[in-house]
Amino acid sequence: MDEQFLIAKLRQGDEAAFKEIVETWKNMVYNTALGILQNAEDAEDVAQEVFVQVFESIKTFKAESKLSTWLYRITVSKALDHLRRKKRKKRFAYIQSIFGAGGETIIEKPDFNHPGIALDNKERAAILFKAIDRLPENQKIAFTLHKVEGLSYQEISDVMKTSVSSVESLMHRAKNNLKKLLHDHYQNKE
Amino acid sequence: MNNRKPIQEEVEKTLNSLDGMQSAAANPYLFTRIKARLEREEKGFWSRSLTFLSRPSVAVPAIVLTILINTAIFFEFKSEKVQIPQDEETFAREYNLSDNTIYESTIEPE
Repeated sequence: MDEQFLIAKLRQGDEAAFKEIVETWKNMVYNTALGILQNAEDAEDVAQEVFVQVFESIKTFKAESKLSTWLYRITVSKALDHLRRKKRKKRFAYIQSIFGAGGETIIEKPDFNHPGIALDNKERAAILFKAIDRLPENQKIAFTLHKVEGLSYQEISDVMKTSVSSVESLMHRAKNNLKKLLHDHYQNKE
Repeated sequence: MNNRKPIQEEVEKTLNSLDGMQSAAANPYLFTRIKARLEREEKGFWSRSLTFLSRPSVAVPAIVLTILINTAIFFEFKSEKVQIPQDEETFAREYNLSDNTIYESTIEPE
């Protein structure tokens, strides 16, 4: 079905149109969330949140950008919110553990294995994902959208509502930071 | 990992390890779960509203306020005096009853 037609139908509350939208873009939304969150359950949770928001706020979508760009924006925003919430919880649990309040036990994040990585690259990819997780938010988003989702710099600039040169700069800084982090990782391993 | 390999080479290989990766597939039942979530949220809104309204800190003041408004309205209407015409003349003027009305002309005084 045509994108504009689907949007118009969804605005009327058409369930079939909503299903079509979910089925068409669910992998894109899930894969993006998975790349940012590096956790399958969290990614599924965020994917659900994204489509719930699409259903609830389709009337405010002005169709100035493509539906996929809008979906990417919502996904990135929801995933970042999720990450911030998790960090807050972790910090709170840490403070509780200091004062012996018996909060949740802090568990070290396990290595993330993306299901789309070839077997012979899994170990390296897990190391890279760990390093990506330590990047500043904007660099992390730009790098993930480019490497995990395969978006061009132009598409990333549309999603992040910034210029292409800003995306280039973000990517350059992300690569430099990753090189430093990976260098430290391999040096400590020796 | 081969430790003899230069670190730089390892870094480059790791940095490129995501090249050619496949997209992860979402849960095939995602739509069903989203639908259930939407329904839950809809129910959640009403149950949240009812829970809020049934809180003693909300319900008691609401009931007291309703009683006060009703009492005020009751006494307000009660204190309003009904205008009763003072005498026959005023009554006739009020209801536009002149001498040539049908009653006056047909009924002769005894």
